[in-house]
Amino acid sequence: MWRYIKWGFRITLLLFVVGFFHYTLPQHDIVRIVGTENRRIDVGVNSIFWSRPDVGMAEGNASRDVFFINAIYPDGSIMDYRNEDTGWGWPPYFKIDTFALQTKAKEMISPSSAPTWVSVTHYGWRNGLFTIFPNAVEVTRVDGQNARIIPWFNIVFFVVLGFVLFMLRRMWMQFRERTIDPVVASAGETWDSVDATADAARDRAKGIFGRFMAWLGTWSGKGR
Amino acid sequence: MSAILRLLVFGFLALSVVYVLVSLYSRSVRREKLEKAWDSDPAREGTATGDRDAYIKAGMAAYETGLRKKLIWLVYVLPALAMGLIIYFVNWD
Repeated sequence: MWRYIKWGFRITLLLFVVGFFHYTLPQHDIVRIVGTENRRIDVGVNSIFWSRPDVGMAEGNASRDVFFINAIYPDGSIMDYRNEDTGWGWPPYFKIDTFALQTKAKEMISPSSAPTWVSVTHYGWRNGLFTIFPNAVEVTRVDGQNARIIPWFNIVFFVVLGFVLFMLRRMWMQFRERTIDPVVASAGETWDSVDATADAARDRAKGIFGRFMAWLGTWSGKGR
Repeated sequence: MSAILRLLVFGFLALSVVYVLVSLYSRSVRREKLEKAWDSDPAREGTATGDRDAYIKAGMAAYETGLRKKLIWLVYVLPALAMGLIIYFVNWD
């Protein structure tokens, strides 16, 4: 029972983290742009999947105009991108060139008889149920529909993230070795010197803390 | 305008927390290294603890003025640089 709860908790956490990165990190689609449009949007409960007004414009209006880019994948399926500033907010793309991007996309519109293949860098998801769209960040012409795109940003990002997590672990280990362990050890010595009745109390304290540490230990895979 | 101020203020605060943590860590690592260097040296066996303390104190004083401590400022520089690069590549490249 407890085991199922623990696994359920871990899987939920993992899904949340993977989903977060999948939504936030840039991805590349190779598509043919078939049109661009400008549409008034009244954002509702799906507002966290929409960005904010362009940098410098009035904020707090639920209703505003949003650019869209309509595109077709090589296999014929459809994708619609929104084109909004992220400005200085989340996610940190610092995108302020919405109007220029819209013009670029407009210039790359092509008919199916003479397709111009374009790589659209974007983040976000398309979902009809919540009416959410990925946000286009960059459009670039590519040689063909099979053009190979190396996700340099994501490679660098995960290397840096790995380094940060590694350093966090090293810092925690150093803190435990130099600060917590001596305190625990000296507390243990103090306990030893007092009456034997204190042994029971120490065992209990060790039990709670020890059990907590053992639980933490199960995350790193080293049995305690 | 308020959005960029918010970003800069909270970014600065977050990086300051990182700076303090990294400083503490770096100092702790250096002190441990000095302690181990002294303790593992057979020539120093049996010397007074006062000598050991003085040795560590001198080593820490050297650390405080050394290059390694100054490198911790990269905690502020690198994120600012990354932000500049992202702004450039997203909007002007």
